[in-house]
Amino acid sequence: MNFSSMRRLALKAAAACAVASLFALPATASDAVLRVSAIPDEAPTELQRKFAPLGKYLEAQTGMKVVFTPVSDYAAVVESLATRKIDLAWLGGFTFVQAKIRTNGTAIPIAQREEDAKFTSKFITADPAIKSLADLKGKTFAFGAPSSTSGSLMPRFFLQQAGLNPEKDFKNVAFSGAHDATVAFVAAGKAEAGVLNASVWDKLVESKKVDTDKVRVFATTPPYFDYNWTVRGDLDPALVKKLTDAFLKLDPANPEHKEILALQRAAKFIPTKKENYDGIEKAAHAAGLLK
Amino acid sequence: MLLTADPAARPRLLGALTVLVVLWPLFQAAEVKPGALFDASNLKVIGNFLAAFLPPETGAGFLGHLAKATLETLAIASAGMLLAFLLAVPLGYLATAAGRERPTLNPVTRSLLTLLRGIPELVWALVFVRIFGLGPAAGVLALGLTYGGMLAKVYAEILESVDPAPANALRHSGAGRPLALLYGLVPLAAKELASYTVYRWECAIRASVVMGFVGAGGLGQLMDQAMKMLNGGEAASILLAFMALVFAADGLSQWLRRALDTPPADRPSPFGPRSALLALTLLAGTVASFRFLNIGFGELFTADAARSMGEFVAGFFPPDLSAEWLAKVGKGIWETLAISVVGTLLAAVAGLLLALPKPHAPFGFVLNALRSVPELVWATITALAVGLGPFAGALALALHTAGVLGRLYAEAFDNAPPAATRALRLAGAPAGVRFLYGTLPGATPQLIAYTLYRWEMNIRMAAILGFVGAGGLGQLLYFELSLFHYAQASTVIIAMLLLSIGVDQTSAWLRQRLR
Repeated sequence: MNFSSMRRLALKAAAACAVASLFALPATASDAVLRVSAIPDEAPTELQRKFAPLGKYLEAQTGMKVVFTPVSDYAAVVESLATRKIDLAWLGGFTFVQAKIRTNGTAIPIAQREEDAKFTSKFITADPAIKSLADLKGKTFAFGAPSSTSGSLMPRFFLQQAGLNPEKDFKNVAFSGAHDATVAFVAAGKAEAGVLNASVWDKLVESKKVDTDKVRVFATTPPYFDYNWTVRGDLDPALVKKLTDAFLKLDPANPEHKEILALQRAAKFIPTKKENYDGIEKAAHAAGLLK
Repeated sequence: MLLTADPAARPRLLGALTVLVVLWPLFQAAEVKPGALFDASNLKVIGNFLAAFLPPETGAGFLGHLAKATLETLAIASAGMLLAFLLAVPLGYLATAAGRERPTLNPVTRSLLTLLRGIPELVWALVFVRIFGLGPAAGVLALGLTYGGMLAKVYAEILESVDPAPANALRHSGAGRPLALLYGLVPLAAKELASYTVYRWECAIRASVVMGFVGAGGLGQLMDQAMKMLNGGEAASILLAFMALVFAADGLSQWLRRALDTPPADRPSPFGPRSALLALTLLAGTVASFRFLNIGFGELFTADAARSMGEFVAGFFPPDLSAEWLAKVGKGIWETLAISVVGTLLAAVAGLLLALPKPHAPFGFVLNALRSVPELVWATITALAVGLGPFAGALALALHTAGVLGRLYAEAFDNAPPAATRALRLAGAPAGVRFLYGTLPGATPQLIAYTLYRWEMNIRMAAILGFVGAGGLGQLLYFELSLFHYAQASTVIIAMLLLSIGVDQTSAWLRQRLR
């Protein structure tokens, strides 16, 4: 067996296949498909589970096929919206501001949960010695993702207002990447304290996924605007209207809608506008996360 | 007294002191606190996590995810390798001095190769995830670029190392350089070229797992999730699937390389059914990989994609060179350097201890287990054991590297020239003395070379460990990229590149000096 000649042939063939496969792939028809994604503030499997009935509902309302792509990076969602790889995205307050900036102000927030107009973050710990924000000095601390509103930006902003600089005053700062991961970090003692969004905390407590005898809330932030559903600015206005109406029509009295709302942890959806997030933008500048 | 007994005592003492003076601040920067390892509460935390490994998760839904992710990892590695190969052949041809009338060092091609290799594949992946969106395309391209750079460099060196006579003869009889290389050098180097390519494919599988941590799909993405959520059962299943994949690739690669060593059959046509089968498998594998990944290459090369890529890349220039940011990056460099040095040293000590005992067998298993777990996964576990920070990163590096070095050390001891040891034994010296004065001096140059090579790899890995909370440059990069601070991220990437080049140079210099 002569390996060199065999190998040459094989490689020639392989190269030919590679080139062929470039052309053979079908062009994706994106006309009748609504491409949706969400910032991965919880485990992707959880996001998919939460989205399934809402996706079906949106399919019925728009007559389009709805495709949900789970991701593991906040910034990738923003970038995908800006490069028109997705049409509709579930964004946090800060990721919305980032998307607004990266699309030159064209991204449109269409709806938010009633809860998002007065959202809060919870500071949690399993260390009995930590009773207030001031006790965090010299401790290891876990944020969520760096570009999370409720897991990074707003807590950082309020910590600053309390006279604490995370980079200087904490022993180590970690980014767990997601809210439920922050709870896991703190419960396991990987970080001495952490911060996460109130909605996920309540959900974990209700579903008994966290041992509240061990992990407790020791501070809560003042309220601020958070999550919304955002579409890219160059989407057909008729479709934008359809999507907005679809969200606003969700009625807790309707059992089918109730399931969707429950999974989204929303009492109901309300209209929102860009100006709601100006406060977040200012906080981001103040905290040095926007330059 | 001592000074008179050993004529080399003074320089040795001085050398040891210098090493201590150099290493001490690095150990400080890595926040080495062995005490934390034995802290009761830390032990409990890690015990709980590891206890959750049993039983491994076997739910049907999860196993389905796992199987798909395993296939995806395999496909990313194979497709990435093909891309790397397509890149490496022309670049290697341009870079190599072989078959040239006048030897040249090709500064342009060589520096391109350094650039491709110097930036860790994880960083490429992170950048490509942004440009091409999520999914395997980013992983394939990242692997293709980094491995293309590595393959091209090694191809160039292999071609330079074989006997140039046939190629020269062809050139003198009027053949062009491509033909002279193809018929004069490639047949001589074929075995080595193929063997290295196969070895790299095996490495690509390991690397594609790591890239999943930044959203490039495959097993890594699952692992990242499980580790983040500290879901021991799932982590155990994924780790088992990963180890099985690595062992299978290892076995296949060894079998292929052994096959390359067997002399060709004595037949008029060298191309037999076995090689045809192999060629077909390779072909089918490649097609299947691309089919499975379903990468929209068409979409990658549209004017729109080019524009958004251009905008994205433009955002990285000019890098932020303000004094304040440079100071922060400088601290990151120092921490990353500390992680790599401390990690490699701890690994050298542990590897030595594991390589010494005979028979090797039980320790061989420990070594295999240590090295088959990727550093990023070790880092998740060590962060539980000693808390987040550089020490966790150094320990993670140490654990993985100890497995690698232990095996290499054991081989070096086995291959050490036996004469001195035999002479000592005949003179009645006890085992300890025989080892210290017989085996060790003979094996030392190899031990040092292996350790330094590993350090060069570890500096790249240390730059990445920050992604899971081990500090250093990685954490800076992850943070700045998340916030779209591309000018700042650009400075960090340049720092990573300079650091890896600097370490390569230092290591080459040390190898020369210590030879």
